[in-house]
Amino acid sequence: MLRRVVAIVVVVACAAGVVAFQVSRPARAPANPRVFVPSPRFFLDFSPSFRTSIADVYYLYMVQYYGEHVTGDGKLDSLPAMVRLVTELSPHFTRAYLFGAFALMDAQQPGVSYEILKHGFEANPGNWRFPAYLGFFVYAFASNKDKDRIAADWYTKAAAIPESPAYLQRLAAVLLGKGGETGKAIQMWGQVYAAGDKFSREKAVAGLERILPTSKQARMKAVAPLYDTMPRQEFEALTAELFKGYAP
Amino acid sequence: MTQDGLGTGSGAATGAQSRAAVLLRDLHKTVAVGFLRRQVEILRGVDLVVDRGDVFGLLGPNGAGKTTTVKVALGLMRPTSGSVQLGVEGLGRVGYLPENPYFYDYLSGREFLGFCARLFGLDAGARHERVEELLRDVSLVDAAGTHLRKYSKGMLQRIGIAQALINDPELVLLDEPMTGLDPVGRVEVKHIIERLHERGKTVMFNSHILSDVHELCSRIAIMRSGRVIWQGTVDEALDEAPSLEDFFMKVVTA
Amino acid sequence: MKQLLAITINTFKETIRDRVLAVIVVFALLMIAGGLWLGSISLGEQGRMIKDFGLVAVSGFGLIVAVFVAASLVHKEVEKRTVFVLFSKPVSRAAFIAGKFIGLCGTMAVVLAGMGLFLFALVWIVAGEASGMVLLAVLMIYVQLLAVVAVTIFFSTMGSAILAAVLGICVFVAGQLSHNVLALTRLGKNPLTEALSWVVYVIVPNFSAVDVKAGAVGEQTLAWGQIGLWTAYILAYVVVVLALAALVFRRKEF
Repeated sequence: MLRRVVAIVVVVACAAGVVAFQVSRPARAPANPRVFVPSPRFFLDFSPSFRTSIADVYYLYMVQYYGEHVTGDGKLDSLPAMVRLVTELSPHFTRAYLFGAFALMDAQQPGVSYEILKHGFEANPGNWRFPAYLGFFVYAFASNKDKDRIAADWYTKAAAIPESPAYLQRLAAVLLGKGGETGKAIQMWGQVYAAGDKFSREKAVAGLERILPTSKQARMKAVAPLYDTMPRQEFEALTAELFKGYAP
Repeated sequence: MTQDGLGTGSGAATGAQSRAAVLLRDLHKTVAVGFLRRQVEILRGVDLVVDRGDVFGLLGPNGAGKTTTVKVALGLMRPTSGSVQLGVEGLGRVGYLPENPYFYDYLSGREFLGFCARLFGLDAGARHERVEELLRDVSLVDAAGTHLRKYSKGMLQRIGIAQALINDPELVLLDEPMTGLDPVGRVEVKHIIERLHERGKTVMFNSHILSDVHELCSRIAIMRSGRVIWQGTVDEALDEAPSLEDFFMKVVTA
Repeated sequence: MKQLLAITINTFKETIRDRVLAVIVVFALLMIAGGLWLGSISLGEQGRMIKDFGLVAVSGFGLIVAVFVAASLVHKEVEKRTVFVLFSKPVSRAAFIAGKFIGLCGTMAVVLAGMGLFLFALVWIVAGEASGMVLLAVLMIYVQLLAVVAVTIFFSTMGSAILAAVLGICVFVAGQLSHNVLALTRLGKNPLTEALSWVVYVIVPNFSAVDVKAGAVGEQTLAWGQIGLWTAYILAYVVVVLALAALVFRRKEF
């Protein structure tokens, strides 16, 4: 009888110890901004059959990593390596390039964004989004005096690709025209909104909010030119978001 | 015989010439046992003759090599030396019931017999007929649709006998056919063996139940330690001892 | 031929009724649904995520089913001694091996088809894409698994079922890395290692030659000629492996 009691006590104590240990671990492992990302070489040597799956895993990891750090400590040290890894393993994974480029913009590395997009365009020459985004990035971040022209070149290249939207050509024209900086920036962000998915749209709205006047009249005047250069549906969606808090 | 692994030594004779249904000459069988592959000699020169139309009993204490002898005769094992001759035209004319048989859990009794019939190349019509006939013979018609997994030992034994007879064999080898059967079952099996004998079939069975052997067999052989130490008719045995038990004890302990 | 058919049908019945199989299939379906969740955190890449991870799940669970069922197929018969019932009838060892293989292939076809159609429907519903490539990818996975089943059956004729299962999985993994072995053969540093690499390269089935999964997510365009050639290669490989298995099995005693 005694033996049984002792046995039960021992087992219960051990179980309690197991639970207590786990519960007492720190709530969250310190979020390490620098994460080990293997070089693409390592995975390229692995089976081709699972390359895309590995790319997908790292893509999801990348999205999560970005989400965790961009609003927190803002350190995205491993992001470039991740973007490179995913895009090397899966060169036709368009979303990875585009997400990566914008995320790297947040990581204060627009130069790397540009490189990534160029690689993306090399691997996917039939995809107009790449040259279109390249144009945007040149305009937004380059410091050359003739960046407008370079950006316009990219837009023209994009427009030359079959099935690209019509407004790309118009954007090129706007850039080469005489309008002010703000006006051109508005056009760029409009294009990003039109071309992009939910993530890009958030970025576009954020970018526009930064440069648009706050008064309703001025805002409407500033946004008006987008009517000509954006597809109707996207224009309406964008204006809905920009004028959300305003009285009709 | 064209079965894999059957009949080495001096070659297999065709049935027509010999009167023997089973003819085993100087069979030796050695197996490698355990991790170190220790050589153990199970059969040490078995000589056995079973005449056509006989009901033959193979007796002996446990470990004498009875089951091994039957397996070598069937080609399930290859003899290390010696010869095997079956007086029938191949395994298509043989029926075999192994000791403690185990069959496919997931099949019903009927499905299992159908499978066995297929293995003998019977066509659909003949299969159906034969399966139903045998189910009647072993009184398993009611349980024919139940999965073998649910059969009792006695039922398994009976389906085992049925599968041994599915091809209407000339030579029937039964290893402990009475195990697990209730008195009714045992009587049924005895009747089956008697009927086979009446139809001129050869039956050989191993058994520990000497009363059954006395009732059914005309000739017997007694094995011990891998050899046949006595072979003859039941009458000859009873000349030398008051009962078969006494004769068996006498021979085995000599 | 009739025996081959009988054993094939029997094996199919045996494996498809295995409840363990059903559990695995359910797990596979769960995993595929897990791809849905992954898709939801992927910023609009549901289609790709579900396709990719779904195919990995089909591959993985298909492998588990193939290996564990194949490993036990032969082993179970020997262990449960149903082989006695089988080989005391005119059944060739080769027909046995072939029948086991084909029967299991039938079951695998049902399982993979189920998972494949489910994945196809999932992709259609979630991403609005009727992706025929997904079905083709599943078909290619099936072809790969044929080779794995053959190799596992081969290993199971030689001994333990668990070892056969483990080796089957190893061969699958090795097959995925086949092109690495090819690279080794071209290093040319040492004629001995080069020769050894060639031997390994030929023996291990090549699963990296055609990658339909990448095609399913848009990473590759596929040449039908290539796929056809590779399928023929795998079928030839299966024939060789099964022949070897039959040879080993011929020597076996029960």
